[in-house]
Amino acid sequence: MKEMLHIQNLTKYYGKIRGIENLDLTLNTGDIYGFIGPNGSGKSTTIRSIMHLINKNSGKVFVNGQEFLKDDLETKKIIGYLPSEISLYDDMAVREILNYHESFYNNIHSRRQELVKKLQLDEKKKIEDLSLGNLKKLGIVLALMHKPKLVILDEPTSGLDPVMQKIFFDILKEEKEKGTTILYSTHILSEVSKICDRVGIVKDGHLIHETTIDDLRKKNFNFLTVSSKDITKIKKELDLPIVYEDKDTIKLKNNLEINLVLKKLSNYKLDKLLIEDPTLEDLFLHYYN
Amino acid sequence: MFLREMKVNLKSFLIWLGVLIGIFLVVFLIYPYMFDQNNMEMFDEMMAIFPEEFLKAFNMDIASIDTVFGWIKTEGFVFILLIIGSYASILGSNILLKEESDETIEYLNTLPVTRSKIVLTKFLCGICYVFLMVLGLGIFNYIGLALSGDFDQKSYLLLSITPLFPALVFFSLSMFLATFTHKTKKMVGISLGIVFISYILQTIASVSDNVSFLKYFSIFTLSDTRYVIENSSLNPMIILISLMLIILFLGLTLIHYNKKELI
Repeated sequence: MKEMLHIQNLTKYYGKIRGIENLDLTLNTGDIYGFIGPNGSGKSTTIRSIMHLINKNSGKVFVNGQEFLKDDLETKKIIGYLPSEISLYDDMAVREILNYHESFYNNIHSRRQELVKKLQLDEKKKIEDLSLGNLKKLGIVLALMHKPKLVILDEPTSGLDPVMQKIFFDILKEEKEKGTTILYSTHILSEVSKICDRVGIVKDGHLIHETTIDDLRKKNFNFLTVSSKDITKIKKELDLPIVYEDKDTIKLKNNLEINLVLKKLSNYKLDKLLIEDPTLEDLFLHYYN
Repeated sequence: MFLREMKVNLKSFLIWLGVLIGIFLVVFLIYPYMFDQNNMEMFDEMMAIFPEEFLKAFNMDIASIDTVFGWIKTEGFVFILLIIGSYASILGSNILLKEESDETIEYLNTLPVTRSKIVLTKFLCGICYVFLMVLGLGIFNYIGLALSGDFDQKSYLLLSITPLFPALVFFSLSMFLATFTHKTKKMVGISLGIVFISYILQTIASVSDNVSFLKYFSIFTLSDTRYVIENSSLNPMIILISLMLIILFLGLTLIHYNKKELI
């Protein structure tokens, strides 16, 4: 599979404060890659470095096999970008900015109309009158209307209602079918599970783990909730990290074989036993802690 | 992109031009009533009180203000130079920086345009508006003077061009300085400061020969209205220096903006 985006040893410091350090990342053509991490972990710094909005200290960014330099207009043409907080020219109407955007590319009018219709965007409205959700919709149209091969989305769903989020995810799935590569940065893990093939977890400016959504779900741990009068003895016997504790009930993070756990617990009288798979949030916290 | 830039800056241009025209309209309306034979004598007596240095600072030693053209050549040009200089400085401060303070740069940067093209487009737009400001005021004053009586048309034409040189230098200098910051308010303060310090330096320099070297630190020296009044021609050295400074600041703007972190 052809590499669409390759980030090599990307490092950015803000003075002495680390933004990202030696970050490596590769997205193949057609990937939807979830770039996840909490605020301040380095997601936006990575994206802004890719887009040359800030100057990286070291490292290289390759797009479609070629190093992406600041004034590489041919590469810019194949990138669509939606920033986390979009700011557009307030004095313009939606139609005007779409026309303006269109003037930089060739033959993109039909795609524009298609997206405007799907996202139910009112072209007559002034940008200054748009709600946050409608502004986000306009940002999505601007990021996608020139048929980019690589789309970089930074927190794309903030402000979108659930109906629009569904439409947006459908659009992204269509894009994937066409072979578009998408870097999807977010801290909302449920979104990642809906559309991403692979995820990368960013912590303190480093990419600490990369996996597929399926593998992430198969991560070898679960949660045990046990209620018993012998809870003190059970706690000692299992010797697992405690997630939650209350009188006779305890929730443990378990990485032992289930059969072994059951064998150990068979020595006690239990009131309740619950074995749960971790949610994406739990998995995320597992890597983070 | 150029047309978009022209549209964005049209409103402030019209306001500034309106203010300037308003000032001169008032002058053209009241000036004929200010001077008759009686108060002319009083005025001459009053002018005799002022030291020669003061008169020199306002070109009043080589031009009389008993006509409206005389006033324009002297005090009028103080207004013209200061207001057009301030307009050019504010325009230069804002034209690039507004994209950053409004955070629209993130969108502009995604478009297939180079940073150099962004700078050159905005520079060209700014040049056009400074030129149009000088032209607009020049035409208005020409009509006003023509309606007020006879005046030296050649001298007026040359004089009306002179604000162009310091204004374009102020514009390009402000644009360059704006590449060092992200804050519009701070930059506008700095560039207006440069305009007023330049004016003060030029005024002080013209008062006494001992401090005349200060004129080399003032951008308003590039207007050189005194030379135009005395020689009825533009000083070619001034044109050359102005052009060199404009090109220098444009080049520095291009270099530094290409390295700048935009957010």
